[in-house]
Amino acid sequence: MLSVKGLKANVGDKEILKGLDLEIGRGEVHAIMGPNGSGKSTLAHVLSGREGYTVTGGSVTFEGQDLLDLEPEARAHLGLFLAFQYPVELPGVNNTYFLKAALNAIRKARGEPELDAVSFLRLMKEKLKVLHLDDSLLKRPVNFGFSGGEKKRNEIFQMAILEPKLAILDETDSGLDIDALRIVADGVNALRSPERSVILVTHYQRLLDYIQPDYVHVLAKGQIIRSGGKELALELEEKGYGWLGAEEAA
Amino acid sequence: MNATSGNGFAPWLADDGPAADTGLAWLDSRRAQARAQVHDQGVPTNKQEAWRYTSLTRLLEQGFTPTAKATPPLESRDLEPLLVPGLEAYRVVLVNGRFAPGLSDLQHLPAGLRVGGLAQILKSDPDALKDRLNGVAGETQPLFAALNTAGLDDGVVVLLERGVQVERPIELIHLSVGMDEPRVAQPRHVVALEAGAQASLIERYVSLGEALYCTNSVLESFLGRDAVLKHQRIQTESANAFHIAGLYLSLGAGSRYQCVNVGLGAAWARTDLNVCFAGEHAECDLQGLYLAGDRQLMDFHLDVDHRLPHCSSRENFKGILYGKGRAVFDGRVYVAKDAQRTDAAMSNRNLLLSEGAEVDTKPQLEINADDVKCSHGTTVGQIEPEQLFYLRSRGISAPLARRMLCLGFAGEILDCLTPEALRDQVAEQVGSRLEQAPID
Repeated sequence: MLSVKGLKANVGDKEILKGLDLEIGRGEVHAIMGPNGSGKSTLAHVLSGREGYTVTGGSVTFEGQDLLDLEPEARAHLGLFLAFQYPVELPGVNNTYFLKAALNAIRKARGEPELDAVSFLRLMKEKLKVLHLDDSLLKRPVNFGFSGGEKKRNEIFQMAILEPKLAILDETDSGLDIDALRIVADGVNALRSPERSVILVTHYQRLLDYIQPDYVHVLAKGQIIRSGGKELALELEEKGYGWLGAEEAA
Repeated sequence: MNATSGNGFAPWLADDGPAADTGLAWLDSRRAQARAQVHDQGVPTNKQEAWRYTSLTRLLEQGFTPTAKATPPLESRDLEPLLVPGLEAYRVVLVNGRFAPGLSDLQHLPAGLRVGGLAQILKSDPDALKDRLNGVAGETQPLFAALNTAGLDDGVVVLLERGVQVERPIELIHLSVGMDEPRVAQPRHVVALEAGAQASLIERYVSLGEALYCTNSVLESFLGRDAVLKHQRIQTESANAFHIAGLYLSLGAGSRYQCVNVGLGAAWARTDLNVCFAGEHAECDLQGLYLAGDRQLMDFHLDVDHRLPHCSSRENFKGILYGKGRAVFDGRVYVAKDAQRTDAAMSNRNLLLSEGAEVDTKPQLEINADDVKCSHGTTVGQIEPEQLFYLRSRGISAPLARRMLCLGFAGEILDCLTPEALRDQVAEQVGSRLEQAPID
């Protein structure tokens, strides 16, 4: 589904990704771990098409298409979703209106009929129930005045509505207390399916106590230096990143 | 531009126009005084603070002359497309500045509410207006108020008796229709609420087609003790129109006044809001939203005079500018020496969608009392790339994402509009304007 080959990317003059390879199959959950400054978030941003990064080498193919050639919205239409590490506040933009516009833009791009207000509301209520979320979420402006935990839950809620083929969760566990972490993890688990792949970008093992990955990769200095099963995460927890020669970047 | 003797706006007061004697000595003397003020003032230049950022050249070049007596024959169906769908209101309509009873809907007015044409009421009951006309616009009225008074002819009068509370809004529609040559209409309105009265006034400026004309309206409003007025002004004039409006308000003790201004139309628009507290513990809330695109000027001047203690005022204006659009916000809050416990907050925020757009913003606080709570703030910014990316990452196209963010920015003001039918229509008008906006 996603194939990353020799990906190199810069921020300004500084090379952050230095030839990164990653293969993700349908329905798989991959954890990408690594110390601060290893390039984890850069990978998430480059895949989603954020400005400010220059790809200098390699390729990314998603669902048979050259992903790097596409605008961010076109990537979303193909089924890519990024759960932001720092979800952006949109004062004055109603959450329901926003999600309806997003879902219908995606449906339209795929040649599917747009959902009317009634069907859309039904879908929202259903997803709120699955994720045990309060429906006050629907009336509020997107992320505006939300607590850290509420913002992360809203990301998962959006993911539930948009039903991506590949979800990238960028440090979704950061800044969450254990209760909020459990709610977010339950949400992700509820959305696991043989059709949906997930990339969990995280610094800590603790998220993986709640979301069991199929594969774990260690990213250091812009490259994947070790891949393995979920036991690799436990080993990292015990020995730290230093064990792999992957110290925190200065 | 130089100040000229024999004011360049003198043709607005042509002798064969509406300036003939009214037969009311008090009115004729006020008009004569205003005429003298017009000539004495000359044409303001950018040396004068009130006209520092706005040139009158474009307005003068049009060669406007007063609207002829005869109003174009219009029928209800001409008005139909300009109405707010679903809005139930007592409706009073002016065509080119003159009261049009045939288009108005003033049946079944509740007891204690009087709504009618100014010219009619000057004939039938001039005493109702004697103490009010020019009561707040005052003796030192600025040029356009003086022009309006000197050419005073028709307009709308709304009078609410003591304690009368009217639920249904009163809708005042200024409809303008293009004439053989560029004409100026100078409607004059008087809105007076006696003690304890409550009302909602929706003032709308609309036109048929893309006519070239000028409206120079003045509205004087008097709120008695504890009266409450919600005043909504929606300006969607033709893209070729010139719009000038002066509001002069006198707020009695304990009264509450809210004004929501929306400026979308006209090529050149200047609005002056003048608030004077006439009693203690009164509140004034001025909200505003303006959009300006290519060749469009939106100019708002606010003058809030806290001359008495214990009053509060809020001024919150937001602007969206695109293309080569220009806006001016000049807000002044004056707190007199004795006006202790004044609570005033002024804010002006602007969103610029293009390199060529421009705004001059100048909030000023002039505080002479020592026990007050006053603040002001102003921002000029662009759409945040982070916000744009967030929306696009969810599948929303860049143009729609920009529009959503602009509407989100405007939402705070749009949400002040009531009832919902009005809010919805204005939100849609703002949305479709943004859709046409070329964004760099």
